[in-house]
Amino acid sequence: MSVIDLRTAVHPRLETLALYATGDLPWRLRWRTGSHIKHCGDCDQQVLLFRSATAKLKREAETQTLTGFEAIADWTRLEREMLGNIAVGVAAARCIDNVGRTRSLFSRGAFAAALIALFIAGWATHIPREQTAHLTASLRNLLGLERPTVTGTIVQTTPDGIAVRAQGATLTMMHPRSAVVSFSGASAVEARYVDEETGQVTITNVYGQ
Amino acid sequence: MASSCRRLGYAVLLAVWLCSAASADDKWLEVKFANDSPVLLVSFSLGPTTARPLGMSMALDLHASLVLRNTGHKPISGLTLRVEAQDLTPLGKGSVTMPSLNVEPGEVFPVRVDMELLRPFSVAKSEGALVQVSLDCALFNDLSAYGPDTLGSRRALMVYELEARRDRRYLAYLLQTQRLAQLREELNFGLPDFSPQQLGLELLREPRTISRREQPVTVGAVSFPSSPVQTMSGAARVAGNEVRGPQIDVRNTSQKIVRSIDMGWIVRDDRGRDFIAGSVPARMQLGPVQTGTMMEPGTLRFSHPTGQPMVIDALMAFVNDVEFADGKLWIPSRVDIDEATSDPMLRRALGSSPEQQRLAEIYRRKGISGLAEELRRLN
Repeated sequence: MSVIDLRTAVHPRLETLALYATGDLPWRLRWRTGSHIKHCGDCDQQVLLFRSATAKLKREAETQTLTGFEAIADWTRLEREMLGNIAVGVAAARCIDNVGRTRSLFSRGAFAAALIALFIAGWATHIPREQTAHLTASLRNLLGLERPTVTGTIVQTTPDGIAVRAQGATLTMMHPRSAVVSFSGASAVEARYVDEETGQVTITNVYGQ
Repeated sequence: MASSCRRLGYAVLLAVWLCSAASADDKWLEVKFANDSPVLLVSFSLGPTTARPLGMSMALDLHASLVLRNTGHKPISGLTLRVEAQDLTPLGKGSVTMPSLNVEPGEVFPVRVDMELLRPFSVAKSEGALVQVSLDCALFNDLSAYGPDTLGSRRALMVYELEARRDRRYLAYLLQTQRLAQLREELNFGLPDFSPQQLGLELLREPRTISRREQPVTVGAVSFPSSPVQTMSGAARVAGNEVRGPQIDVRNTSQKIVRSIDMGWIVRDDRGRDFIAGSVPARMQLGPVQTGTMMEPGTLRFSHPTGQPMVIDALMAFVNDVEFADGKLWIPSRVDIDEATSDPMLRRALGSSPEQQRLAEIYRRKGISGLAEELRRLN
């Protein structure tokens, strides 16, 4: 049989006929091949040969499969083995998962611990103890663990002067940077300086109660 | 946007506040002297005074220049003006002291009052000026005084005057004996920026709970040989940059009854530098040979001028001055100061008086001749 193109009303290829016999052609090519086979006895014969060969092969395959299955007589045992293998596989997968997760958790924890250690070391070497204590006291005050230490009058020095703070208001006596400050009483601070304009010594004081 | 709204809000608050102050026909600052006062106000001007919002408060910068006249019959050696803000009364107040004035009767002299008042917007303004300035005490050159003396100013002014006389005599002596090198050293070699080491202070009056960080320390003594009161032993609790509850035992070694003692305190930081932290006058009736204990219940907190806490390593005390029952005062002499310590910096700090500071400024500006003229005029 010669190879003929369908477009020119020639016979289809053998592969096309084999695929047609097994119903594996695309629908358009199947329709065209089917139309040709209706009018072509050779091709129809060839398709029948392909179909019978396929049927024979299927029958032989089924026969061999049935023979293999027949060799397995103990289905219960087979089921147990299969279930056991599945359980082992699942357990192994869980083990692998845990190993990975533990390692990940450990590495993350170690990294965090290293960061914390670095922070503590940096704080200890760079931040004065008084500021640490002040921060701790502030946090304790904030959390209500310790009552606020100062609520009354505060007398203090500031960069620009000496100040007394009471009742929400603040009075600051200003002075130049050259002023020398000292406390001048149980609740008083003084600043002494020379007035640049007059050359006169001036002493300012603030008093708390 | 939020910032603009906040600024607008502050501006509105400021405007409302200023309008209310103006409508009440009030003044920012009022100067009041009694009719029989030895000083009277000649002129008064508010310099670059400004009001601005600061957070939820109003910050009022007051720069007042007063010109006062000595209307009495005696030269005025010094005076103290009391500065009171109605928002802080009676818990807080301020003062301006002018020692070593030497103002003859009829003469005028300037006094500057530079201050800032921070008051919350929520505080209602009462009647009268926000700030009142009045005379607390005026000391004459015969050591008599005038004024209500509500701030203990008379005692301070008397100490300043006695120190001034002591230092003028000492410097005049150096000048007469041609000890010019020593004189220059006493007057800081005419350097403008030479000043004792500075420190930041905070006084807390509320008693604090004892913390585990507190260390008990022994208070050392810097003794002046001729002092009528000698320090014996002392103790304090130190926690970092705080000194709590310092106390010291004293003995009256004179034959006179002591009325009050001004105890000076020196703190040493962790670098071994000594700072004169200040002094606290306290009333203490002590008979001859009698002993007593001076104590300060509050907390003193120290810091460097930069704001960094100053770690306290040691604490020392010295008797700054003593007031007897007859009203007379004792102050350390120059010999006392020289013999009190071998540390030149501490000795310089102990001997630094307002008058010496003023004379050093004259020496810096006018030289030896100007200093000599000033000493001649006052001595």
